[in-house]
Amino acid sequence: MNRKPRPSETSDTTALFSSWQQQLLSRRRFLLAAAGGSVAAMFPLPSPSATTNNKPAAASDPWPVIAAVQQHLFPAEKDAPGAAEINAPAYLQFVVSDRTLDADEREFILQGTRWLQDITEKKYKTAFIELDYEKREQVLRHIASSSAGENWLSTLLLYIFEALLTDPVYGGNKNQAGWKWLQHTPGFPRPPADKTFQHLLKI
Amino acid sequence: MKDFDICIIGSGAGGGPVALTLAEAGYSVVVLEKGPWFSEKDFYKDELACCRRSVYTPNLRDEQHVIEDLEDGRWNATPTSESGWDFWNGNCVGGSSNFMSGFFHRLKPVDFYQLSEFGPIEGANRADWPISYDELAPYYDRVEQVVGVSGKFEPHKNIEPRTADFPYPPTREHAVSGWIDKACDELGYHSLRVPRAILSEPQNTQQGNRRSCEYSGYCGSYGCSSGAKGSSRAALLDRAVSSGHCQVRPHSKVTRLISNAKGKITQVEYIDKNNRKQTLDAGIYVVACQAIETSRLLLHSTGPAFPDGLANNSGQVGKNLLFSAGGSGSGDFNFDDFDAAQLKQLRQLGPFVNRALDDWYTINDKQLAGRPLKGGIVEFLFAHPNPTSRANSLKWDDDKLLWGKPLKRKLESWFTTDRSLRFEVFNDWLPTDNCFVSLDRKIKDRWSTPVAKVRIGYHPHDLKIAAYLADKGEQVLKQLGAVRIDSSVSGSPPANLVAGGCRFGNDPKTSVLDKNCRAHEVENLYITDGSFMPTGGSVPYTWTIYANAFRVADIIKNL
Repeated sequence: MNRKPRPSETSDTTALFSSWQQQLLSRRRFLLAAAGGSVAAMFPLPSPSATTNNKPAAASDPWPVIAAVQQHLFPAEKDAPGAAEINAPAYLQFVVSDRTLDADEREFILQGTRWLQDITEKKYKTAFIELDYEKREQVLRHIASSSAGENWLSTLLLYIFEALLTDPVYGGNKNQAGWKWLQHTPGFPRPPADKTFQHLLKI
Repeated sequence: MKDFDICIIGSGAGGGPVALTLAEAGYSVVVLEKGPWFSEKDFYKDELACCRRSVYTPNLRDEQHVIEDLEDGRWNATPTSESGWDFWNGNCVGGSSNFMSGFFHRLKPVDFYQLSEFGPIEGANRADWPISYDELAPYYDRVEQVVGVSGKFEPHKNIEPRTADFPYPPTREHAVSGWIDKACDELGYHSLRVPRAILSEPQNTQQGNRRSCEYSGYCGSYGCSSGAKGSSRAALLDRAVSSGHCQVRPHSKVTRLISNAKGKITQVEYIDKNNRKQTLDAGIYVVACQAIETSRLLLHSTGPAFPDGLANNSGQVGKNLLFSAGGSGSGDFNFDDFDAAQLKQLRQLGPFVNRALDDWYTINDKQLAGRPLKGGIVEFLFAHPNPTSRANSLKWDDDKLLWGKPLKRKLESWFTTDRSLRFEVFNDWLPTDNCFVSLDRKIKDRWSTPVAKVRIGYHPHDLKIAAYLADKGEQVLKQLGAVRIDSSVSGSPPANLVAGGCRFGNDPKTSVLDKNCRAHEVENLYITDGSFMPTGGSVPYTWTIYANAFRVADIIKNL
């Protein structure tokens, strides 16, 4: 790469910091600003008193739901790895626990999960992980019709791609399954465990 | 007794040559660098570290720019923390030269007198340089030796004057380079083998001790693990430090240059890693923070003799900022269109393309204009290896988010059925009154210093030239048998190709620096990054920045 393009030049994917990420961030920032700077306001949940009859969705463990959404977005196939095969759930846990991650990003991923659970409870009176394939598709298409929901799904896809194609040292791309599937040859030398980006940030 | 003879602010391509030259001459030198000090042992082919987390550049919430863009006839200011448009290019020892591709081109003689040769353009501030190509040529030669440039001196239509061959043979080349040569030949164009600031053989001389390129296929914005890439850090600063006369202080963010009533710099003020304010003094101060930050530092460094910023009583600091005009294009080679032997060649990773066209550096085309116009170059290259970014760009089907099996089929198709060849166009970004650096009145960085506000207006003439050149690039791709050929030109500045803001010239009213790159108004201030350039030329800047910094270092050495 020689020329570093402007974020809006979507046809060009050679950026240091590529266009889609800029757009994602910029759309997120716009949505956040519209919600008064609050991630919670982007994903309105009922107040706890309104859900006294049921266990409030917001209080439950988000990770099984996230794993189920990842599996739906990136299903396993005979000749192509799915979210589980590339370790996408564990990879996203690593991302969310990374202290260098923007606090808004962490909150956005987790709050979006609660919101999905809440919408599923309202629509189907059951949890997302209990739904069959057709109903999961319906509810995800439904949330994709709102800007915040689409942005949330787009964010989950982004981290699935990171789990698919970044170095296995970060926990995704198990046994290089992503590289093998897409016939991608990694560069060398590959990063050892004591030279990951978190280590570099301490130099 | 001063703390140091020479204080250099910034450790990139503008700072390194001065540090090395003066340290080896026995001066005591200190280099203040805002970012950390990585070495080869920290650079791996890690897409997350390189391209997806802010490892080599600041978090935009801590340090940012404000960009003024023309929208509906109004200048609209947007902080980059909101837009995500990152104008940092590498904040660490060695600066952005750690992350360059190292496509090295000299300016051509005509770049030094564009105003005389091509005449004025309305709305542009073209100017001749106060030095000629001949004055810079020995320093281009020195860069070849010291930084290490690989190439071959071959007769060529537009080749700039030079005497000796390159000190290193060309880097290994991809089969497609030969295909490009053939296609250009068929079209009557003269393909040019591009010199690279990448060692093709180990450097094991008094100039340094570095390994040669290992052809991992992951170059460009990845830091170099072998030391072959000619960054200021690997090629110059490591050596400067080993001379025993140069200290590099990382995590040292300079906030002000303090000057007295006589207009001389007396001290530099900086913040260290522990957020403590420090000062030091030196005989001569050399600023090389990359163009935007250099102008910002001067504008912020007011003093009794400089109410509008250091060396800025002319009002010229920050003016006539330059980027590189142009655009890019690409075409795909469908694997199905090639036989097995060709396919093996096409899929090879590692070796470089190393081809450009400079047939239209000066355009003589009656259909475009009745007189010669300043043109530029077309550079061919493979796409940058950033698979995660590529995958993620495929998730949209127009405006609809794709997932599930349709997404996976699209990924398979993109990654496994073809290979893209790209080209980039470089032409002059004409200097205008609409492209300059000032200080933002509201937004500050994490050290409470006003951030740079950058107005990024371009001249429409730039797009006309870029489109002319992009058409030539497309013709070559067509001749090569590529499909899905596309190109675009744009007035958006590439943030990593920046120069100007502190022009050098003979008239103190219209320039900040004299021909030696010393400030007209400040006798102990030199500027050695790309800021000095009054016009940009039509090639990436790094070789010229290196060469000029070596030239200025010799001037300081001989004071």
